[in-house]
Amino acid sequence: MLFGYPLDVWATQLFIGLVNGCILILVAQGLSIVFGLMGIINFAHGIFYMLGAYAGWVTVRATGNFWLALVVAPLAVAVVGMLVEVGVLRRIYGTRNANFAGVLVTYGLAIMIPDVVRMIFGRPGKPFAVPSVLTGTLFTFGGTDIGSYRIFIIGVTAALLPLLWLLLNRTNLGMVIRAGTSDNLMVQLLGINVARTWTVTYALGAALAALGGVITAPLIAVAPEMGGLILIECFIVTVVGGMGSFGGPIAGGLLIGTVLAITGMLYDVLADVVIYLLMAVVLLVRPRGLFGQEGVSEE
Amino acid sequence: MIAAFLERRGLLVAAALLLLAPLVADYTPFYLALLTEVLVFGLFALAYDILLGHTGVLSLGHSAFIGVAAYTTGILLSRWREMPVELAVLAGAGGGLAVALFLGPLVLRKRGVYFAMLTLALSQVFYYVVLMWTPVTGGTDGLGNLPRLFLSAPLGGFRLSKRPLALYFTVAVTVFVAMLIIRRILRSPYGRVMRAVKANERRAQACGYNTKQVKLVAFVLSGLFSGLAGGLLTVTLEFVPIENIYWSMSGTVLIMTLFGGTGTLLGPFVGSAVFVWMRDFLSKKLEYWEVFVGGSFVLIVLFMPEGIVGTLRRLVGARRPAPVAPAATTEAAPRAARSTAPTSRAANGAAPLLESRRLTMRFGGLTAVDAVDFQVRPGELRAVIGPNGAGKTTFFNMLTGVLPPTDGQIFFQGQDITALPAYAVSRLGIARSYQVTNIFADLTVLENVRIAAQSRVTTYNLWANADRLAGVNERAEGILALLGLGDKRHLLAGALSHGEQRYLEIGIALATEPAFLLLDEPTAGMSPEETKQTAEFIRSIAGSVTIVLVEHDMEVVMGVSDRITVLNYGRVLAEGTPAEIRGNPDVRRVYLRD
Repeated sequence: MLFGYPLDVWATQLFIGLVNGCILILVAQGLSIVFGLMGIINFAHGIFYMLGAYAGWVTVRATGNFWLALVVAPLAVAVVGMLVEVGVLRRIYGTRNANFAGVLVTYGLAIMIPDVVRMIFGRPGKPFAVPSVLTGTLFTFGGTDIGSYRIFIIGVTAALLPLLWLLLNRTNLGMVIRAGTSDNLMVQLLGINVARTWTVTYALGAALAALGGVITAPLIAVAPEMGGLILIECFIVTVVGGMGSFGGPIAGGLLIGTVLAITGMLYDVLADVVIYLLMAVVLLVRPRGLFGQEGVSEE
Repeated sequence: MIAAFLERRGLLVAAALLLLAPLVADYTPFYLALLTEVLVFGLFALAYDILLGHTGVLSLGHSAFIGVAAYTTGILLSRWREMPVELAVLAGAGGGLAVALFLGPLVLRKRGVYFAMLTLALSQVFYYVVLMWTPVTGGTDGLGNLPRLFLSAPLGGFRLSKRPLALYFTVAVTVFVAMLIIRRILRSPYGRVMRAVKANERRAQACGYNTKQVKLVAFVLSGLFSGLAGGLLTVTLEFVPIENIYWSMSGTVLIMTLFGGTGTLLGPFVGSAVFVWMRDFLSKKLEYWEVFVGGSFVLIVLFMPEGIVGTLRRLVGARRPAPVAPAATTEAAPRAARSTAPTSRAANGAAPLLESRRLTMRFGGLTAVDAVDFQVRPGELRAVIGPNGAGKTTFFNMLTGVLPPTDGQIFFQGQDITALPAYAVSRLGIARSYQVTNIFADLTVLENVRIAAQSRVTTYNLWANADRLAGVNERAEGILALLGLGDKRHLLAGALSHGEQRYLEIGIALATEPAFLLLDEPTAGMSPEETKQTAEFIRSIAGSVTIVLVEHDMEVVMGVSDRITVLNYGRVLAEGTPAEIRGNPDVRRVYLRD
């Protein structure tokens, strides 16, 4: 017993925290990459998460194939991301207060798009079944049933993160992204096509959010509002972990996922407020976050 | 002509409109209630714009101000059912003020996007407090069950509940008075400083303004008036929905303000009207009205960043007095006041005006400035030269309080100023110009100089008229005349040519009446002709102010300076008169090799 709860309840909660943390990591990585390169707080990020879930739902409905949905959703949403970047964001770069304007236009999109989705798919949420292979319990651990699907989520995250790291650290694109994060003007002066890099980066961020969306869909219903909550949680994850760094969202995601699960068990009402307070404290004490690079957008 | 009339008599027109509006609204309680709500949200947006449009600070946490105030008023009224409405509303404003005083010092430690995120996070904490404190706040159901609302007997004892007209006039008068107060504050010297902070915070610091304090005052004012709006909102709705304190409320006020136009008095009210119209009418006509709200918001940000009012103003052309006819413009050139023989200025025996002792700056492993001992006597004109990367600008940044030195000390007039922030250094009489032009590009040429001159008036308040400060305008005009920029006083500084901007840069520094002036490559990017004029100008002001000059143009350096200090790799390589430096073998080696 610990704080009035048996240890296996603790274990269950920690496991749930880990799974939720994995989803947060996927989505927050996208947010962090976009922020790091473009300096934009992307309020539209939750939209991509929601659209990913819908794209997955449509694919499963049309083909009955969950695995296909896992591939189609990120790709489809990446295209949407490209359109947003080229059609909207590109107009504000270089204008004064581009950072403000970035917040504002993406905020406008975050209001608009859910209603567009309601228009097309209707207001009620859509049920999204767990693929039959992954239903049921994989094994029992200390009296806790470990669901296969949740293990699958952990697996996908664990497999994807090294690939993302390789993409950011071992490819040309990643090199440009990281160089652009530290000095955008210099990269342009070197004659690198920054416009294209930004489009690709924004699309990459959108794809990561969409993957998070489609992978979460079987755990919750697919609904137009689902982007709002995860957006705020991912803000908190990236701020706590450190915006624009690779390790930041991982540490932040695991921390926030766990904190949410544990406070949810101990005192349900406090769960949300605790993460806000955590974010405020981190911003005040260590503004660049746990893993943020020194000097990068410290103010 | 209409525009000019509105410009001058805008307040009268606004008052008349407020009086007559109930007639237009046809006494229909429904419309009157909407109109009342428009005014309340307009005040909220105006309060928000004190920060966004006038100080350049983006907050995403204003739901805390209006929400705490709305609940304060609501809780007071529901618990003490005899309480006069005006007291409860004032208490609400006090609630907004208290939240701002509590949050302000915390959140203003950060800037830009981090500031915005911090306000968002902390404002949400208030939402959860309301959520958890259900017995008092009503939780998600909101707070209802208010008694019949009465003004107190001294204010006529009117009943407001179920009497839309009485409520409307009560709210209209309150909002109008609040608007007058805000208008006055924005036109005060303090309001001007807010604008300067918005235009260029670093430069405002260098002019002697404690910009953190300025932002804090703006934040607190914004919280106070948002709180007033929150109290009025509760009285208007006779209900406190929990949405009032949820973060989407911060988004709503942002949308309203931008729709109407930031930086104007009318804009927030227009934005509020548009928003209430969309919410109430559009939502009935269109099921998916948020597509329209979000979409038009995106379009406004992209194509009409000045908002509705700002764009109309620009189209009508009533923004500022007509620019001076181009025929009157002459080539801007600083007028040489008088020329003094360079050598006669420095008082040789006097104590140093400024002194650095073993001043050192390290960035990680790089030592940019290495134990520099440096002395300038009153009246001297000293040049600091050295190859690129010698540490000249870093040295300046330490002298002016921009960079705290790693080691060493700085004395000015015998006082240790090593640890002072930039604004305090400026107040002591040290001014500087920048290598990369650093002016208030969005302000007029006159205001650039005026705001700097104003920094020497220490006893201004929130209630004075900035245009009537004794001596400040005269000083600003004098400086413009000296710079030869008098004809362009009403142009935006960003519209000046490069050379003119460089002069203005020096003018801003001079307007702070410095005893000591640091010029960082004043001739950078200038044509040979402009360079000659600038050298002449520097020589002419050298009689009245001690100058340290960083410069690459050797002709200028040799022509104007009394003594020269040569920096190389962060160390003092040599120091002496121009003739001595010219003959110094070490210096020749460094420069010839480069």
